[in-house]
Formats: sequence, structure tokens, C-alpha cells
Amino acid sequence: MLELRGLSKHFGGVKALDGLDLSVREGEIFGLIGPNGSGKSTAINLICGVYAESAGTVRFSGQVMNGKAPHERLRAGIARTFQNIRLFPNLTVWQNLWVAQNSPRDVAAQGFLSRWFGATRRTRRELAELLELADLGHKGDELASNLAFGEQRRLEFARAAAARPRLLLLDEPAAGMSRQEIEDLGGRIRGLRDSGVTILLVEHVMELVMGVTEQIAVLNFGKKIAFGTPGEVQRNEAVQEAYLGTSASDSGAAGEGA
Amino acid sequence: MDDYVITVLSNIGMISFVALSAYLLLLTGVISFGQQAYFGLGAYAAGAATAMLLLPIWAGILIGACVAGLMAALVGALTLRLRGLYFSISTLAFAEMVRLVLLIVEVQVEVDGELVGPAGAEGFHDIRWMFERDISLGEFMLLIYALLALVLVALLLIERSRLGSIFRMLGSDDLLADMQGLNVVGYRVLAAGLAGVLAGIGGALYAHFTTYVEPQFFNVMLGVHALAYGLIGGLGTAFGPLIGVAIDVGFLEAVRFIQGYRMIVFGGLVALLLIFMPRGLLDEERVHRLKARFRRRGDAHAAGS
Ligand SMILES: Nc1ncnc2c1ncn2[C@@H]1O[C@H](COP(=O)(O)OP(=O)(O)OP(=O)(O)O)[C@@H](O)[C@H]1O
Ligand SMILES: [Mg+2]
Repeated sequence: MLELRGLSKHFGGVKALDGLDLSVREGEIFGLIGPNGSGKSTAINLICGVYAESAGTVRFSGQVMNGKAPHERLRAGIARTFQNIRLFPNLTVWQNLWVAQNSPRDVAAQGFLSRWFGATRRTRRELAELLELADLGHKGDELASNLAFGEQRRLEFARAAAARPRLLLLDEPAAGMSRQEIEDLGGRIRGLRDSGVTILLVEHVMELVMGVTEQIAVLNFGKKIAFGTPGEVQRNEAVQEAYLGTSASDSGAAGEGA
Repeated sequence: MDDYVITVLSNIGMISFVALSAYLLLLTGVISFGQQAYFGLGAYAAGAATAMLLLPIWAGILIGACVAGLMAALVGALTLRLRGLYFSISTLAFAEMVRLVLLIVEVQVEVDGELVGPAGAEGFHDIRWMFERDISLGEFMLLIYALLALVLVALLLIERSRLGSIFRMLGSDDLLADMQGLNVVGYRVLAAGLAGVLAGIGGALYAHFTTYVEPQFFNVMLGVHALAYGLIGGLGTAFGPLIGVAIDVGFLEAVRFIQGYRMIVFGGLVALLLIFMPRGLLDEERVHRLKARFRRRGDAHAAGS
């Protein structure tokens, strides 16, 4: 479903990503891990079109995505969340979800009038369900800026789901979360996958990565150093070295702050 | 009411259209120094419609609004790909170009034995629709406020619509809006076109209120003031820029002893507000709190329930 070939991004002299090859199959939860600064966020930014690649191709469902704007990629089915929470602070929670519904299916179903003006009853019901799922049922009318940290993370996740993606890129969704919240998050990720969404999970919290992913690729200095099932990757020597060489705590379960 | 009061109130009303025009673009995160151009185009187009083609006033206003709106959308489509400051400068350049063109354009036709039409630097005289029909300044003021009310209602409806939320998204984080699947440039062109329509209506009214217009009036000071009104009054609601206009044209005009220092007082006010209330008196946060208070009393609007 997602094919990266020789994907590279250079910032001046820094090779943030250096010839990454990756294939994510439809319906799987794919993990992308690596020490700080290894190029994980850069890969996400390249896949969703925020950065233009220095070299290589991004192919999604057989279509080459190079040169397409982020909104075109979203409409093709690629949505994401952010390492640093990124919401529209001066819109309400409900509006944040409402404006996120831009999948071709929603555009077609809404029609011009309800797309630009009022929400249809169906839209209201769907958004109410999303709010419930995100445990934000009573917060719909709050400004997003007034939410607590955990609520903002859940809203971001719900917003990505509101876009009806076929591929969801999650950039450290568990950062700063408590153990309980991480467990809930794991459940949400699995739930989304079961509803047919393919997931690329970038995460430092190993407990989560090892728990939910089926395949994992490991980056170091912009290069892929390992690939395999969670078990294989954990036993891989190059991986252990990369992690020990930078910060040993990353292989623990605690995760790091935001 | 004496004519002076009527004139001040009418000016408040007419300038409000430009203020709302600049405000609409500010909402989408775009700073235009050129909305005076669409006010001017609206004025000239509407004047030409009634004084040269002898069309009724409603047709004049409609034509003024359309000419300004189409021009604004066209210019927007060409320039809105530019980022931030580059775009702002291009708006200024376009507005100055319009003004310079109007300074040399002479197109006059004979109406009742007299030449009527734009006469370059001398302006466009004898837009006499009001006099020919014996309409008083007071009556015309009512027309201004009726149209302003209409526009305001339309803007308030847009603000609670999905389109309104989209405009605000663009203003707060356009890259994020892009990643949400929205064509940022497209929506901004739409906003620019609507903003052009608003300024055009104001200009059309202005031409008929003063009976003559000249290019000098549509200089950059008008555009800068239009921007400042939204920034003073607040970007949380369309009432914001109106408050800005009322403060400047109403209060500062009325308090005569400030007259000579008006620009200084106004400039100081803008500076103070930008420091202490960067999004104006009625910013989103305050508007949201006010709305919540209303909603708790009345029935809830369906969002979020
Ligand atoms: N916009 C940018 N301009 C310049 N350098 C950048 C930019 N973005 C990332 N880099 C550099 O590219 C490298 C990879 O960064 P990236 O953010 O992709 O790492 P990461 O794997 O997401 O790290 P983390 O786990 O800390 O989030 C780093 O050396 C970073 O400093
Ligand atoms: Mg990162």
C-alpha cells in the first residue's frame, strides 16, 4: 500500500533521511523506530507532503505521490498526527473535527451546501460518535486551546480518524502519556486498524510498539538498519547498539516526555 | 439630525464595508494593504453604471460589487501563492496601479448635453443619482445601514458555518489546513473575492453619497486604516471591525479637540492594543465566552450536542 524507494531528505549538509526503502502492506500496523534525530519525523513529513524529497519516490496504492500537495495526499487517503500536538486552538473541539472531514467520500456525501454551511444530521451523528470514542463527549463546545494535554492528544487522534484515512501516520502519539493512557491508545490504534486503516506508528514507547505492531523498521542516522517482527528487531544486535549508543532508556518502557 | 451628524454616521457605515473586507482576509491569515483598490473600483463602476449608462442604483451597486469581487478574485488567484510579506506587498502594488490607472483614464459620454465620466486626475464628477431623485442624505444613510446590516448578517452566518471555520483554520495554521485536505490557495481566493465584493459595495455607496470620486481618495491610508479597524476591534467576530471604525471615525471625529492629533492618537491606540490585545478587543477567546453565556440561557445551537 505504501512503498518508499530510496527516499532521501537533506537539510543543507544534514542527511536527515538517506535512501530509505520501505513497504507497508494494506491493513497492517507498521512500526518505525530509531534513536532521536534518526529521521522518523522527516519520513512522515515526506510521506504526507510537507517536505519535498531530495531523492527517491513515495508510492501510495500504486500512485506516485511526489510533487503532490498535502491536501491532495489527504484526499488520496493519507492522514497524520504530530509529535508536537497541532490543533486549531481558536476553533472549538467540534469544529476541529468538522473541518477535518475532507475525504472524497465525505465531500461527495455532503454536497456543496452542507460542505460549506450547516452540518447534516449524519455528519452530526458521526462527529458525536468520534467525540464519544475519544472520550471528549462533553467537551464539544470547548475551544481546543482550553483542553488538557491528554484531551488534546485524543482530539488529534479523533481528527485524524475524521479524515477517513486509508493510511494513518502516527508520530509519537504516546509521548507524555501515562501507562493507562498508553494502554487506551493501543486499543484505539487496534480498533482503527480493525476498521480497515493501515497504520505507520513512529514511537519511542517500546511497550506500545512491541505490543501493537506486526513489522518494524529501525532507523539510525537516516538509514534503515534493521527490519522484521518485533521479536526479531529486539534481538538484533545493530539495533541494540544503536539504542545503547545514544540513550539506553529508550529501550525501556517509560517513554520520554513531550 | 443635522447634515454633519448624518455625514459622520454615513462615513462610518461606508468605511465599515472596507473594514469588513480587510477583516475577512485577516481571518484567513492574509494581510492586504490593497482593499482600497476594490473600494475605488466599486465606486467607479457603480458611478459609471448610474451616471453614464443611466441604470438604477441597485444595478449600480450590483455592478460595483461584481467588478470589485471579480477583480479581487483574479488578483488573488495570481498573487495568493506568494507567501506572507510578498503577498502583502503585491496587494499594495496592485492598489497603487489601480490608482495610477484611474488618474489617467478619461472615458466620458454625453448625458443631457454634459460630459459625464471619469476624467483622470480630476476625478469622476456628477454622479447625481441622489439629487435627480430628490433623495435626502438621511434617506441615503438608511440605505447604507440597510446594506451594512445585510452584509453583517451574511458574515455572521458564514462565521458559524463550516466555511467560516475553514477561513479561521487558514488564519491560524495554513500548513495544518493543507494537511487536513483543504486547498489553501483556493479558499483564500474565495475569501479575496468575497472581500472584494464587500469593498465594492462600500465604494458604490460612497460614489453616490458624495456625488464625485477621485483616485486620490483611494490611497494606501484607506487600506491601512481598514486593516487597523479589524486589529483594534478584534478578529473574533464581524462586529470587531465595526467597533474599530466607530472608535476612529466616530469617537475621534466627534472629539474635536483631538483633531490635529488624530493620526497620533489613532496610531497610539493601535500600538497599545497590539501589545496588550494582539487579536483586538473582541478576540476569539472573548467571543467564545460571550457566546457560551448566551447559549446557556437560550437553546443550544446544535454543534457539539
Ligand atoms: N526542518 C529541518 N531543518 C533542518 N534540519 C532538520 C529539519 N528537520 C529535521 N532536521 C534534522 O534532521 C534529522 C532528523 O530529524 P527527525 O526530526 O526526522 O528525527 P526523529 O527521528 O523524528 O527524532 P525524534 O525521535 O527526536 O523525534 C535531525 O538531525 C534534525 O536535526
Ligand atoms: Mg520526530
